[in-house]
Order: sequence, then structure tokens, then C-alpha cells
Amino acid sequence: MSATTLPARGSAAASARRLLGNGTLIVAAIYLLLLAVFAARQPGALSDSSVTDLFNNALPLALAAAGGTLVVLTRGFDLSVAGVVALTNVLMATQVGDGAGGALEGLAMVVGVGLVVGAVNGYLVAYVRLQSIASTLATMIVTSGLALLVLDAPGGNVPDFVSYGLTDVVAGGIPVAALIALGVVALWLVLRRTDWGVALYAVGADETAAGLAGIPTRRVKFLAYCLAGVFYGLSGYMLSALTATGNPNAGNAYLLLTFAAIAIGGTSFSGGRGGLVGAMIGAATLTLLQKVLFSAGVSSFYTGIFQGLVMILAVLIAAISERLARGRRA
Amino acid sequence: MNPSEVKERLDAARTIPPAAEDASGRAPDPRGARQAGLHGDLWTAIALFSLTAVLILASRWISPSFGGLAQAKAILVLSSFIAVTAFGQQMVILTGGLDLSIASVMTMGGVLTFGWIGASGPALIWGIPLVLVLTAAIGALNGIGVVLLRVPPFIMTLAMGIIVYGAALGFTGGTPRGQPSPALSALFTGHVLGVPPVILLIAVFAALGTLLQLGTAFGRRLYAVGTNPAAAYIAGLPVRRLTLLAYAISGGSSGLAGILMVGYAGGATLTMGQGYQLPSIAAAVVGGTSILGGSGLYLGAVGGALLLTTFSTIISALGIAEGWRTILYGAVILLALLLLRDELYAWIGRAVTRPILPPDASARRNA
Repeated sequence: MSATTLPARGSAAASARRLLGNGTLIVAAIYLLLLAVFAARQPGALSDSSVTDLFNNALPLALAAAGGTLVVLTRGFDLSVAGVVALTNVLMATQVGDGAGGALEGLAMVVGVGLVVGAVNGYLVAYVRLQSIASTLATMIVTSGLALLVLDAPGGNVPDFVSYGLTDVVAGGIPVAALIALGVVALWLVLRRTDWGVALYAVGADETAAGLAGIPTRRVKFLAYCLAGVFYGLSGYMLSALTATGNPNAGNAYLLLTFAAIAIGGTSFSGGRGGLVGAMIGAATLTLLQKVLFSAGVSSFYTGIFQGLVMILAVLIAAISERLARGRRA
Repeated sequence: MNPSEVKERLDAARTIPPAAEDASGRAPDPRGARQAGLHGDLWTAIALFSLTAVLILASRWISPSFGGLAQAKAILVLSSFIAVTAFGQQMVILTGGLDLSIASVMTMGGVLTFGWIGASGPALIWGIPLVLVLTAAIGALNGIGVVLLRVPPFIMTLAMGIIVYGAALGFTGGTPRGQPSPALSALFTGHVLGVPPVILLIAVFAALGTLLQLGTAFGRRLYAVGTNPAAAYIAGLPVRRLTLLAYAISGGSSGLAGILMVGYAGGATLTMGQGYQLPSIAAAVVGGTSILGGSGLYLGAVGGALLLTTFSTIISALGIAEGWRTILYGAVILLALLLLRDELYAWIGRAVTRPILPPDASARRNA
């Protein structure tokens, strides 16, 4: 774990090793490779509108994966992402007025929903000590039910202010979605250096040792679930902006894709290793992959086979390069 | 064996199953942990079976047609699919893994059964073993990815699920074609000893599954692998082969669920497995299986499958909106998790066994 959590200082060889063991850089390289393939096959793939589309399509999953990573770092699983995305999506499609006021009201609502669900998860896992996968499965089902109560079939309208505003470009061509992604990355770079950020890795790597070292492990985990919930809410917000409509089943597709993005992004499911930026790039990679397969003319029947193979390959590449990094250090 | 050799084997073992890092903070003696856990697992199973019986009896208040033997039979039949998938899921969870390909493998099993066996009787003889072997081979591929390529189980099985679903989609061209099998349907419509044969089949399956876990070397070793993979490796257990076998079993049991589903539904669809992925995990976990591996009993998972099926049957009969039904379903899962915790069994166990335990045993337990 030291390769990614404790930057080693020293020679150029040491930093090369660090780069090899860094899941974020590897997934970034995979992304660029895919982008090159996409650009080669599809004329205009790197035009302004196409790049904006790439950011817009990737951001909802990237936000969900960012939240999920926080929980995976503590060695937990959070399935509630599917429920929260669905619930916030239908709320945005039915309960929010137009204009800046409505957008802010919606933002407060999705953050609130995410926080409440996250707090319930965090309480059940950290304090009641239920298994994370089981308790978040229950909260996922309950929130999906709430989404069905709000809107029992696809429909509704997301206010134009949100759906146009968030998918647009500002300052002569910078996608709003890219700014949001940058904001999340900046937030994470700050959070990672706080006591909580450091404790998050410690708890995931070895909870007993972290507890003995005086880290309030339960509070650290509780906060991870809360913040994860907020990210899921924001993911639902962005998804609503993207689709401009409500769908009580919108979250289902997110459940597995979120975990796939986290894994491709180099975060270990045995906790304590990885990061949020890698997961976000992982989400972008999965989204781009669909476009590439489509542009390559792969029959939609077989798209799944390629997607699955790329997922395994990405994880293998990350593992091999990490092994190389570790092997040379030994 | 010199210390550096031990360390080498430990390090090697740690990278074999991805959950190996669980080893820290665990009971150092797998056998001791197993014995302590077995009481809890048995209590869980007993509690779940009793709760299911009480719920079925109590459901008479909801509808007069409920609460009788007919409803109990219907629930047993419906729970068979979750119960069968939960077996493989639990075997994988015991090793510290997770199988997310169950829905797709089940669909594949169903689609192949529907397409290959059809209405033919003789085709059953080669068809069913062939489908089981194929689905077990898919599971074994999961196992190879996990133990040899060291892909995390979560991602390996998830990717395999996507791949197998794509293959099923391609194989059928989007619409599964075939014929329903009268012999398989007879499992659900016939009567043996007054019940549909599938209930007897599941009873035998549950007994054999539990026996495999408790009464065979394979089963006992699987617990050791899940409790502490490094220790199991040092003790000379073939950790990789055991783990691979668990995934193959999971593939085969998902295939079996698909075969049964064709008998029940009289056909196959590309979504037939979808509703069984999370329930297979939920049944195992409600049944007292630790998601971290090394503890759980199939009897408990069968109880979990029964309880979940009873809940959903009763809830769907309530005549309320789908949203409320879903909320209620989630709430009862949560309630079951809160109630069926180890602390509860420990308390019951203490209350029941205290007088007969020798003093030193109780002293050790309190330590």
C-alpha cells in the first residue's frame, strides 16, 4: 500500500516505480489510448461539442464512483448508490421549480437525501456493526421504493435551468461538467490531507491497528458513508441534468458500473489503497468504451463481451504494473 | 522450515485470494473459530425456519386463502430458485469472495436448456449434465481469474456476468427460442408424497449441501481458507484449487437454477436471472453468512431464502403500491439483519447452555 499512500522520495527510479504502481496514472493511460482509438475512427471526435459530450456523459457515473470509492477505501461496499441516484433523479424531475432558485433548492434536496441515506448506512455499519453489503442493500431497496412512490413510471421534467446550465460550456468552451469534475478532484486533494483523509486509509488497511493507534474508526467510517451519500445525490443531480427526465429505475445501471469504475480506477476492494481520482477516470473510461465500441461497429449483442474483457484487462494491467513496481523494490 | 521460507509462503498466500488481507484481526485458530461459529449458524437456521412458519401462519390475517398448506407449498416452490443460487453464492463467500455473475449464468443455463433440450425427453439425459458442466465451466473461469490472474472476485465475476450476458444475447439473437420441457415442468406440477417433486429435490439439495460443508474434508477446508487463507496455505491446503472449485460450484448451481426456472416458467427469457443476483447474497447474509468469509451454513442460507420469499409473497398480496411494497421489503430485510445478529444467538446460547458448561469453558468464553 505504501506505493500509493506514502509517496516515496528519492531517485528517478523510485519515482518511476511509483508511477507504475499508481492506479490513477494507469487508468489515465488506458483512457488516453481509448480516446486515440476513438479519434482515429470517428472524425470530429475531438471537436468542442464532442468533448463536452464526453464530460457530460461521464460525470454522473464519475460522481457515483467517487462516492463509492470512499466506502471501498474503508473496506466496505455501498449498494445504496442505485437507490439514491434513482430517488434524487425522480425528485429533480417532479419537485423542483425552474430558475436559479429551483436549481439551488434541488441541489439542497439531493445533498440532503444523500446525507440522510449515507448517515443511515454509516450508522448501521459503523455503530451497529452490520455487514456493509447487507445494510446498504436494504437502504438501496428502501430508497428505490421511495423513488417509485415519487414517480411510478418514467416521466416528469427536469427544469431547463438545470438541464441546460449543467450540460453547457462557459468562458468560451470549458464544459461545466469538466469544472465540476475538477472541483471534486480539488476537494479530494484537500480532504485526503486532512486527519479524516489519512484515517480513511488507515481504517481500510487495518481497522484494529488504526483503532489501537487512537483513530476514532467508527466516526471515520460513518463520515465516509455520509460523504458517499452526498456524492450519489450529486450524481443523481447531474444525471437529471443530462437526461432531463425522471426514471425510478435510473439507478439500476449504476450499481455495477460504479464498482467497475472503482476497480478500473485502481482502488483495492480489500481496503486502504486507491483513490477517488482514479475511480472518476475509470468511470470516464467505461463511458468512452461504449462510444468506441459503437463507433467500431461492434454488434450491440456483443458489446457486453468487450466491456467485460476490457474490465478484466484494465484490472490485470493495473495489477501487473503494481507487481513490477513492488518486485523492483524488493 | 526456516523463518524466511515461512515468510515467503505467507507472502505468497497473501496474494492468492484477494481477501487474504482479512487475516489480520481474525481468530488465529480456524478450527476454534469454526466450532464457536457453528452454534450461531445453527441458531440462525432454526430461527429463520421458525420465523418463516410463524409468518406463514400469521398471514391468514391478510388473506383467508393464506396461511394454509397450499401457501406453504407455493412458498417452498418459489424459494427453490433463491435457495439453489444461494448455495453457490455462499460457497464463494465462504472463501472470502463474491459471485456477481449468478444472474447471467442462470440466464445462460435457462436459455441453453430451453434451446437444446426442448420438449424432448431423451435430450434431458445428455442436456442437463451438459448445461451443468458448461455453467460450472463458466464458474471455473471466474475461479481461474481470481486465483491465477488475481483479479478481485468482485470485478472478475462482474465482468464475467457482463460477458456471459452478452454471449446469451448473441446466442439467442435477442429472443430465446425453444420448447418447454414437460419433464422439467412436471417437477413443479406433479405430486410425490403430496408435494411437487421440486420441494423434495430442494430438501435433498439442502441436506447434501449442508453435509458437503460440514461432513467432508472439502467443506471443512473451505472454511479454513475463508477464515485465514495464509494459515490454510501454510497448513498445506490447496488454497487455489479449493477456491477455484467453490466458483465452479457457484456456476453449476446458477445453471441448475436456470434449468429449474425453465421448468417453472415453461420457457426462457434474457431477464430470467436478473431478480436473483442480490437475493442470492441477501439469503446467504440473512442466513448468517459473514461476507468476509469463513463462516456460514447452507441450512441458514436456505432459511434466508425461505424468509425472503415469504416476505415478498406476503408483501405482494397486501394490495399496496409497488413503491410501498419495495420499501416494506427493504425494511424487513433490515429488521431481519438487526434481529438476527450474533449477539442475539450468543445470548440465547448462554441462556441455554450455561448450566452444563464446565467452569473452565465459560471462563474461556468470557475471556
